[in-house]
Amino acid sequence: MVGLNLNVGAFFLELILLVTGLFFFLVDRFISRKSYAFWICLLLCIFSGFIILFIPFGEFTKAFRNDFYSATLKFLLIFGFFFVVILAKEYLVTFRALEYGEFYGLLIFSLFGSFIMLSSQDFLTLFLGLELTSIPIYFLIATNFLYQRRSIEGAIKYFIVGALGSLFFILALGIFYYLSGSLYFDIILTKVAQGDRREEFLAGIVFLLVGFSIKLSLVPFHMWAPDAYEASPVPVTAYLAGFIKFAVLSALIKVLIIAFSPIKDDVGQLLLWVALLSILVGSVLAIIQENLIRLLAYSSIAHMGYALLGLVSGEYVGYGFSIFYGFVYLFMTLGLFSVIIYLYRYNRNILEISNLAGLAKELPLFSFMALIFLFSLAGIPPTAGFMAKFYVFVVLIKGGFLISAVLGLLFSVIGAYPYLRILKVIYMDRPSVSFNRGAFSFLTYLALYISAFLVILLGIYPQPAIEFIQRTLYLYLTFQFLHF
Amino acid sequence: MSSLPLLSLILWFPLVGILSILFTPRNRENLIKTIALVTAIVDFLFSLCLLLNFDFQNSGFQFVEKSEWLSIINSSYYLGVDGVSILFIPLSTLVTVLCVLISWDSITEKVKEFYLALLFTNIAMIGVFVSLDLLLFYIFWEALLIPMYLIIGIWGGPRRIYSTIKFFLYTFFGSIFMLVAIIYIFLQYGTFEYTALLGKNYPTHIERFLFLAFLIAFAVKVPMWPVHTWLPDAHTEAPTAGSVILAGILIKLGGYGMIRFLLPLFPNATLYFANLILILSVIAIIYAGLACLWQSDLKRLIAYSSVSHMGFITLGIFSLNPIGLKGAILQMINHGIVTGALFMCVGVIYDRTHSRAISHYGGLATTFPFYAGLFMIFTLASIGLPGTNGFVGEFLILQGVFLRDKLFSALGATGVIIGACYMLWLYQRVFFEKPSPNVFNLPPLKWNELIALLPMVILVFLIGLYPSLLLDFMKGSVFMILNHFMNIGGS
Repeated sequence: MVGLNLNVGAFFLELILLVTGLFFFLVDRFISRKSYAFWICLLLCIFSGFIILFIPFGEFTKAFRNDFYSATLKFLLIFGFFFVVILAKEYLVTFRALEYGEFYGLLIFSLFGSFIMLSSQDFLTLFLGLELTSIPIYFLIATNFLYQRRSIEGAIKYFIVGALGSLFFILALGIFYYLSGSLYFDIILTKVAQGDRREEFLAGIVFLLVGFSIKLSLVPFHMWAPDAYEASPVPVTAYLAGFIKFAVLSALIKVLIIAFSPIKDDVGQLLLWVALLSILVGSVLAIIQENLIRLLAYSSIAHMGYALLGLVSGEYVGYGFSIFYGFVYLFMTLGLFSVIIYLYRYNRNILEISNLAGLAKELPLFSFMALIFLFSLAGIPPTAGFMAKFYVFVVLIKGGFLISAVLGLLFSVIGAYPYLRILKVIYMDRPSVSFNRGAFSFLTYLALYISAFLVILLGIYPQPAIEFIQRTLYLYLTFQFLHF
Repeated sequence: MSSLPLLSLILWFPLVGILSILFTPRNRENLIKTIALVTAIVDFLFSLCLLLNFDFQNSGFQFVEKSEWLSIINSSYYLGVDGVSILFIPLSTLVTVLCVLISWDSITEKVKEFYLALLFTNIAMIGVFVSLDLLLFYIFWEALLIPMYLIIGIWGGPRRIYSTIKFFLYTFFGSIFMLVAIIYIFLQYGTFEYTALLGKNYPTHIERFLFLAFLIAFAVKVPMWPVHTWLPDAHTEAPTAGSVILAGILIKLGGYGMIRFLLPLFPNATLYFANLILILSVIAIIYAGLACLWQSDLKRLIAYSSVSHMGFITLGIFSLNPIGLKGAILQMINHGIVTGALFMCVGVIYDRTHSRAISHYGGLATTFPFYAGLFMIFTLASIGLPGTNGFVGEFLILQGVFLRDKLFSALGATGVIIGACYMLWLYQRVFFEKPSPNVFNLPPLKWNELIALLPMVILVFLIGLYPSLLLDFMKGSVFMILNHFMNIGGS
């Protein structure tokens, strides 16, 4: 094309990720000490977390733009990714058969995908980003075949359901294209703002939300989650549960803001029942789970329901609180998973909850950490889980959804029980087996302590974090709608 | 002294102990216990400073501290005490000291976690009493569940897990409605500040809903009659320290919440629902009192007697006059002291014989006379014998209710008689009759048990003989609460 003026600066970060990812795939065969990949990954995280502060805002192409929102969210995602990488390393030290550069390469591709998703300015790029976020994960789940035969089942299930989600997504794209003649968010926005084809757009949004719901494992599209979680290598489960959910949630919020803000109230109405049902189903089914990972899968279904409650009233403040919820959930999950990975490395049968009995006597520190994260998941103050829920419910009640708020909070009482049960097993049951102890690297302690610290800090003083997110949203909105 | 943030100091001082214990190796149990004890004692001394600096002329909030906390939702770190809450602070710190003492030898496993949980409980309890910001109040209120869940569940009796999960879910369920009400109030008036919310008017039905939402949270905590079932289980299965905290402070939070929030914030609804609550209180007094008569478990009996006594307290609160309200506050303190002491006494013999069944004992008075004497004092205080603190509280409550409605007063007074029946019968079965073979050669009281029980004996008589020592504190504030109430609700 003539006169194509590419602003490479805006794409620089993604470029680095792409190059690093490809590097792993090309060079990995020739390097025998596989731990190199971990260090490169870690450096990449630190480096990209640093340079993201200097990446210029602006468009790479019309379809890709780096702005306030995407830059902030990318920063938070890198923060989370840093911990995922550490967890992966901790896991791969024991499960050596998986330790290839490609493991990290696939993770990086997935990160790359989520960045594309956040920066996208049209639906096609968004779709590509969404797919790129999950396709590497299908591979990663399937690689676990070496240790767990069921992982193929999980991977295929996730793949097929994910494909179904893509199908709905493309269907939504078709509808939007038909209605507005374009897939660019801003053009769709102007069409939506005209207001004459509201119902048709809402029909398209329903399909779009189905696509997103499958990635977020919301009821009634949640059935893949427990199987996929159980099948994955544990760090990939953590990635799937915390990181991808957070990234997809932020992308959904972005779409709602820049493409559908005139009808976001109606979208909120659509989301209300999905959110409440997710909370109910996730909480109730978590009660009967015997496997820790499956329990966390159901709990993640419920938690995504809470996060969505922030979107129901259709206020921008609520969007900010949803992002806050996602962020808090990311760190609660990562923290809990770092405990699980430690245990799992030395005790392969630890994922059955009853085998955790008496853990507190043998490993008091890890039990205590698990206690912090579990109470946070249950939403008991003074932990971040409470604050996140609290803000979401403030916005919900402000929007006039009093009954829904009462229902949501009642479900949270049900939802507290599974966590209490894990704590009961850890702290109150007599030990059945003795636990093997092993070394735990400094970095993993770091991950554990930082996430515990964050969970407590955000529970006691969430003000700066919330202000940061709200301010980002505000600035983003100001610049986005300046021309309106 | 006024420049020192005394309330924050009392509130957060246990954190020093928590941090020191966290960094103490877990095999040095004596050091951990000593740190906990010293922290608790110092905190108690601070709270005595608070009492000494109290201004009796000022019926509003004193020692007020306010600083920015969550400005985005207009919630601040806002502390203060008045005559209603001030007495609970030394009570909480005293109870913590006693709990450390009483658990000295009886907690043998996970010692470190136990004292961490105990000090954390202390922070949360005081936080509930001193916070004047609704959100802050709620956070402390809920945070208390964490250590209590652990204390009952880890160090409790055989059915501890059932009891602790029941306790947790019950109280969590109750608080949910309060949270909704708090958010609703915030959205109406844009603030969580207690003092700013006084004197606001709500539409009638909304006020009633808000009242009920708060009432559910407090009623579960008190616990009032239909939602009391968690208490006997939790009390019975908790370790001694857990029972003492439950009886001493935790169930007082409900009564305190009623006085602090229900009466001043929703006066019209209070008037509307007062008779209903009086009826529930009378049912609690009589039903729980009768239930005591057929208990075969020592702790369970005292737990049911708590339900009965808490019925008196709600009766006093909703008599809605100064005498009844003063009586209720005084009786909360008294009940904390007496029932706490009774649980400690039960703990003393439980540690020696490992049985809570009443039929397991008999004739303890001959084999363990000094202990029998102590138990007698607390039994009589629990019945409300003149000269002990129980008498003053119950008398004031019944007098207050009498001024409101003679029938309720009469019905409530039957509770005193039933109380005498079950307590004296209990005393007879455990201490007199033919000595059971299980009660010979019991080791004498240990130093920690003696130190824990003696202050209680002193307090029983001190308050019993000179009640205005405590009543003076609450005089002004009680009038404030009711005055305010009469101004708005006096229709």
